[in-house]
Amino acid sequence: MVGEGATLPLQTDTVLLPERVGELTGLDQFGVGGELLAAFLAAFIVGNIMLAMTGVAGPWAKRKITAAFTDRIAVNRLGPAGLLIIVADSVRLLSKELIIPEDADRPAYDLAPIVIASSALLGFAVIPMGSGIHLADPEVGLAFVFAVAGIASIGLVMAGYASANKYSMLGGLRAVAQNVAYEIPLVVTGMSVVIFAGTLQMSAIVEAQAQTLVSLGGLDIPAWYALVNPFAFVLFLVANFAEVGRNPFDTPEAPTEIVAGYQTEYSSVYFVLIYLGEFIHIFLGGAIIATIFLGGPAGPVLPGIVWFIIKIWAVFFLTQWLRSAIPRVRIDQLIEIGWKGLLVLSFANLVITAVIVGLIA
Amino acid sequence: MIGLLKSMATTMKHALDGSTFTVEYPETAPDVSPRFRGVHKFSQERCIWCRQCENVCPNDTIQIVMDDKRNGEQYNLNIGQCIYCRLCEEVCPVDAILLTQNFEFTGDTKHDLVYNKDQLRAVPWYKDIDPLESREPDRGAWIGEGDGDVDYQ
Amino acid sequence: MSTELERQQPTEVSEDDLEVLLGDRALGRDDHLNAPGFVIRPDDVQDVLTDLRDEAGFDHLSCLTAQQYSDRYESIYHLKKYADPTQEVSVVVPTSTDDPVSQSAEPVFRTADWHEREAFDLVGIDYEGHPDPRRILLPETWQGHPLSEGYDQEKPQIVTLSEHANPIQPDHHDEESDTMFLNIGPHHPATHGVLHVKTVLDGETVVDVDPDIGYLHRCEEQMCQQGTYRHQIMPYPDRWDYVSAGLLNEWAYARTAEDLADIEVPEYAQIIRTMSAELCRIASHMLALGTFALDVYGDFTAVFQYAFRDREVVQDILEDLTGQRLMFNYFRLGGVAWDLPEPRDEFIAKTRDFLDELPAKVDEYNDMITSNEIFQIRCHNTGVLEPEEVKDYGCTGPVARGSGVDYDLRRDDPYGYYENLEWDVITEDGCDNYARVLVRMQEVEESAKIIEQCLDLLEDWPEDERDVQANVPRTLKPDADTEVYRAVEGAKGELGIYIRSDGTDKPGRFKIRSPCFSNLQALEAMSEGEYIPDLVASLGSLDIVLGEVDR
Repeated sequence: MVGEGATLPLQTDTVLLPERVGELTGLDQFGVGGELLAAFLAAFIVGNIMLAMTGVAGPWAKRKITAAFTDRIAVNRLGPAGLLIIVADSVRLLSKELIIPEDADRPAYDLAPIVIASSALLGFAVIPMGSGIHLADPEVGLAFVFAVAGIASIGLVMAGYASANKYSMLGGLRAVAQNVAYEIPLVVTGMSVVIFAGTLQMSAIVEAQAQTLVSLGGLDIPAWYALVNPFAFVLFLVANFAEVGRNPFDTPEAPTEIVAGYQTEYSSVYFVLIYLGEFIHIFLGGAIIATIFLGGPAGPVLPGIVWFIIKIWAVFFLTQWLRSAIPRVRIDQLIEIGWKGLLVLSFANLVITAVIVGLIA
Repeated sequence: MIGLLKSMATTMKHALDGSTFTVEYPETAPDVSPRFRGVHKFSQERCIWCRQCENVCPNDTIQIVMDDKRNGEQYNLNIGQCIYCRLCEEVCPVDAILLTQNFEFTGDTKHDLVYNKDQLRAVPWYKDIDPLESREPDRGAWIGEGDGDVDYQ
Repeated sequence: MSTELERQQPTEVSEDDLEVLLGDRALGRDDHLNAPGFVIRPDDVQDVLTDLRDEAGFDHLSCLTAQQYSDRYESIYHLKKYADPTQEVSVVVPTSTDDPVSQSAEPVFRTADWHEREAFDLVGIDYEGHPDPRRILLPETWQGHPLSEGYDQEKPQIVTLSEHANPIQPDHHDEESDTMFLNIGPHHPATHGVLHVKTVLDGETVVDVDPDIGYLHRCEEQMCQQGTYRHQIMPYPDRWDYVSAGLLNEWAYARTAEDLADIEVPEYAQIIRTMSAELCRIASHMLALGTFALDVYGDFTAVFQYAFRDREVVQDILEDLTGQRLMFNYFRLGGVAWDLPEPRDEFIAKTRDFLDELPAKVDEYNDMITSNEIFQIRCHNTGVLEPEEVKDYGCTGPVARGSGVDYDLRRDDPYGYYENLEWDVITEDGCDNYARVLVRMQEVEESAKIIEQCLDLLEDWPEDERDVQANVPRTLKPDADTEVYRAVEGAKGELGIYIRSDGTDKPGRFKIRSPCFSNLQALEAMSEGEYIPDLVASLGSLDIVLGEVDR
């Protein structure tokens, strides 16, 4: 039931970032080894952009945004607009003592933060960020993103179980229950996009959205899937918030209920990794939404990468907005919403989309 | 769903109007009411060593040492232990002990917070406000004559 | 349910009726200033209390005071009626010094459970038939009973747990059990202080809760027993419920001591008292609302901050009036310390401004909280406390009114200037967390009404009749063995104080009936069978302050 070949865009001929880095540095002349090195370099660049955005700007922005919603001033002492608080925070967190519980199940306890952080970073490999920043473009791009993002739940359950703490345990269990319940609607809703685009390849999905949906007074509205199928967009957004564990679905952490869930027993560097991992997950969620619903890096005037970052931050802003305004749902209600609500709706969306696409095509 | 949107709209309204209710202390010092009760100020010139403040103090914060001729020697007040109830000021017949509006005080150890009479004398007025003036209109009311004997020891 | 209660006109029970009802069981009379007191035998307790509850309608065990005299121990059960709290009766149960065993009242009134544990803990009376005779405020390993005569403060009071543990005590740990034991607190983000809730979970479902209190026990009762009536006790009530309900607490002491020493308070001072106390109630309810939102929302976010922003205004007004933001020490026996601050117009205008802005803010809370669907599904039908349970547990205040029990001492047992003002008692029939939130939010509006009327009165009061204090002797020495129990409507509920004078200028026994203490006991009824998040929300909706629970 995948879309007809007619709508399938042809293989794009964009140059991926590793190749370009290879060309620029001349590494591509050294065969496989050189290509490998170039790929590492490219991944390093992208990884750093993402880290800078999430780990560094994320927490600062979170403070500022929350403060704006709650009529406070927030950080403003260190550096312009308090930006240097980022440096101070890093020094503070990294210089703290790493306390590991006696009964912790190692090495699971040590691996969990790494799994959580790296699984999210991996996802960025296939995201086209515009301006030629695109690490890899496999034909199963979208499936790959969902797959690696799903690895995080293993990290969460590892963290929860290995900490030898009951609160962590509850948090880990909640995280798994939640991820299982919302991964399916997430993927199923993603599939409705695949039906439209007729491909799993990220660059092709982006390209399919570049067509014009309607022209209003000479203004071309692009066929972003958020506009083509707003219902699927909302579903995906909700499922995504649950998937990354943000309000109103932040039950795995739920500070007032189970202290901090799976991260209760983590401190210092490990805590930084988990914290980073969570932020990267929010941004990865934003990146997926931007790519498959908001036309990826497309946008007028500004370069693609800028539009891409704006879109990611818009999603991040939305998470913080919801955090300020909306209560957390209870774990049983959350599971209920997932299985009885979103799952049904996402399948309905899939079927209807398939029928409509089939009729039109 | 309407309720959710209302919540979101309310918070957004607050974000957009840009007003804040927190202030940058110490750049923006808070307004302290004239009646505010802060650290004590003691005047040995006024004090008649009647020991009423020591007696009335609910938790033995004030310690007075006198020689055998009943002349005052020491007046110690533990501002870390004090509960700032202002009873000492209230019973003082000569305004020798007063609570200033000064709330900014620190000490490295709890012993630093035991003030002797010279330290108590040196406590600055907060923003140069003498609290006596603000309390003047009501003083008659709260000192009160009362029945019974005044215990001057 | 509330309507039913209102209609139910309480039958007036005279002292003669009570004497007939108790018959031979009443060994004698020991009348208190507030109520007739009947002395009964220690093994008649359940019998007498059951009769008083079922036959005479005394359905509210307000407080249990235990004390030791030189020749006997004494437990006093202060009974009231929910329908009419002015009808009171005290049941006095003396027990011998050698063998202080008295029958437990727990089977009759569930609330006696904790009250008797406290009596055992602090005074040392054993209650026969008590289901759970453990210490409650002091650590399990404490030696002796601090409020009993001859307690040696110099003696080591704590032994190590290993010394204390009983090696032959059966261990109920069950290998096969599917449940998980979880300590919530004493350091947990949602316990509102140092409360320790021993919880047994089956999955996420709460099977059993056992609040462990006493971490903040500061011997407040004993401190008051060491202070003089006239001056030294008044600063301490501020520190029981220390989150901005100070004046309400001070009023509890003021009312009791004024009854004891027979002091008249000038009308003008009563109006100031009423106004300032209601300001405190607003501040306290704002805090309750903010922290409850914190428990449900999960972060220090919008609602919490807005509630604190609004509470800040109240605090400023109170600071102008009393000179302090939390520890007011503003009431005096026979009045208040100060008249309204000069310039008076400015103060009144400032307070009016606050009242004028309040409706808009309440609307905003309604937008943010009560109309929010997720908030509704979180709070509807969670933490359910039926009216019968309310009475059984002796719950009062917004907790009782949220369950439809129409009980407010400001109206039912009038004091201050309340009876001359126009206002309503708010009740909700929801019995759940949502109803309690609604009650608090509406009470804020009612308090605003009261303040508004007080301001009008204060503004137009004749200049030469502005007496803020009666002429009170410098030293108060009430007659020996006068006993009085008086309560006021605090922010959390009925805050009662029992004082027995011993002829000196300091109380012989000073007992505090804390509303939070009784309300917290109902947590088990509210949260068992529900989920952890509901437990946390229920705890938040009880609005306890550990300073008042532990005293």
